[in-house]
Amino acid sequence: MLELYHWEPNGFYLKPLIALEEKGAAFTSRWFDPTAFEQMADGFPSSVESRLVLEREGPLLVADGTVISSTFFMLEYIAEAVPGPALMPEAAWHRYRARAWGQFLGLSLGSMTSALGCARYLAPDLARRDAAALRAQIDSIEPVERRNAWLAVIDGGHDEAALAALRQRLSLPVGRLEVALAQGPWLAGPDYSIADIDAYALVDPLCDLAPEVVNDARTPRLMGWLTRIAERPAVRAARARSRSGRPEQAFVPGVEPARWG
Amino acid sequence: MLRLYHWEPNANSGKPMLALAEKGVAYESHYLDLLKFDQHQPAYLAINPDGTIPAMVHGDLVLTESTPMMEYVDEAFDGPPLRPTSPAERWRMRWWMRFFDAYFGPSLSMIGWSVFVGPAARQRDPEELRAAIDRIPLEARRIAWRKAIFNEFSAAELEESRRRVVWATGILERHLATHEWIAGGMYSLGDINGFNLGYALPLSQPAVSNDEKTPHIMEWLRRIFERPATRQTWAKGRTALASRVSMLERRAPAAQ
Repeated sequence: MLELYHWEPNGFYLKPLIALEEKGAAFTSRWFDPTAFEQMADGFPSSVESRLVLEREGPLLVADGTVISSTFFMLEYIAEAVPGPALMPEAAWHRYRARAWGQFLGLSLGSMTSALGCARYLAPDLARRDAAALRAQIDSIEPVERRNAWLAVIDGGHDEAALAALRQRLSLPVGRLEVALAQGPWLAGPDYSIADIDAYALVDPLCDLAPEVVNDARTPRLMGWLTRIAERPAVRAARARSRSGRPEQAFVPGVEPARWG
Repeated sequence: MLRLYHWEPNANSGKPMLALAEKGVAYESHYLDLLKFDQHQPAYLAINPDGTIPAMVHGDLVLTESTPMMEYVDEAFDGPPLRPTSPAERWRMRWWMRFFDAYFGPSLSMIGWSVFVGPAARQRDPEELRAAIDRIPLEARRIAWRKAIFNEFSAAELEESRRRVVWATGILERHLATHEWIAGGMYSLGDINGFNLGYALPLSQPAVSNDEKTPHIMEWLRRIFERPATRQTWAKGRTALASRVSMLERRAPAAQ
């Protein structure tokens, strides 16, 4: 019995939707709106790990009573536990590559893509709401790091200078992906894997959020890779679960930037 | 041929060292002195252009991310399994390793660098230090070294790190009160990861982690320290950093 608690098929929420569609798995979709703070309501699945997860607002996969959080590890769980086509490479070296990509991109783009998306789409949305009611909702969020991530969005924590610096820092992960795709069509070995699913969900929004960094001229291999993944039936099916018709605009605060600089 | 480039059995370097020892895998050890910036010298940058340690070279393959490196060790070599078979327990192991690597560890190491790495490095000529920092390939690491060496951590940053260490220690204590090991019923890479992060916690944070306040953490650390692979690995340490582990020796009860 699998239940997936998710929002619009974008960013972190998109990853398990693609993986479950690739597996052809039967699962119950539990759609929720994190910008209405439905994930804080009584009855929403909760565990120590889901409350502290560094990606903050979900998704969550409930599998036989266990609340699975943290999306790259959720993809590994789906690859290992759910019958269907293999989504994890077979060779130990390729599996290492998949995990190394998951770690590197999760801690870099997991923060950067979310911050750029929140500044572009979530901040204006929250600015239209009743400020006192919104602040009261945010003030009750625990732990404090999760609360502060929301406060940064409503208090303009992402000013233009910060966003420009962020776009500049995108060059490292995006550049590495472009170089890696010169070695073969997929990120971790000869076959499509959870490394591609994970990276796709974090990179695809950058075509909209940072077109000066991700584009046909500067990152042609990355653009081709994005197109190949977007055309997969499982990815189309995952995207088709959107309720708004604008999943590419759905962002919530993600991973905290590294505190050392 | 397996080669491991590492510093002390501590933090990231200690993870593959202990995993390899648990598997009983022999390797060629290449000790790099972090405080002498050995990891930024051309010979090592030819192996790992990022200049981070550890790095593992297995035949033609070069591995540089310490946590995925441990899973590679478990998958590529014979020996006792270091991961649970159940996908749910494997997920829990990985979740906690990320919590250690990305939340608990950076706060603990910010404190450690401010009191240990920074002062030790400051014994050297400032101009030589600046030149050494300028050679660091990754911008994020240059910033980290600059902050540590020139004591540029703000009071607010250090206070926030201390708050996080206290809070995360409480989370870990509660987890170990209901789980024998990090993943559940089996010693795993999650414990290896956590031990490398926290073996000196009772010494560096005595008011936060001790037999009264965190008995489950203390017992967990001691059980790991008593494993032959742990003793063998920490015996490879060359500095006072690694020898701190001896404080985990169980003391005989005092005579009545």
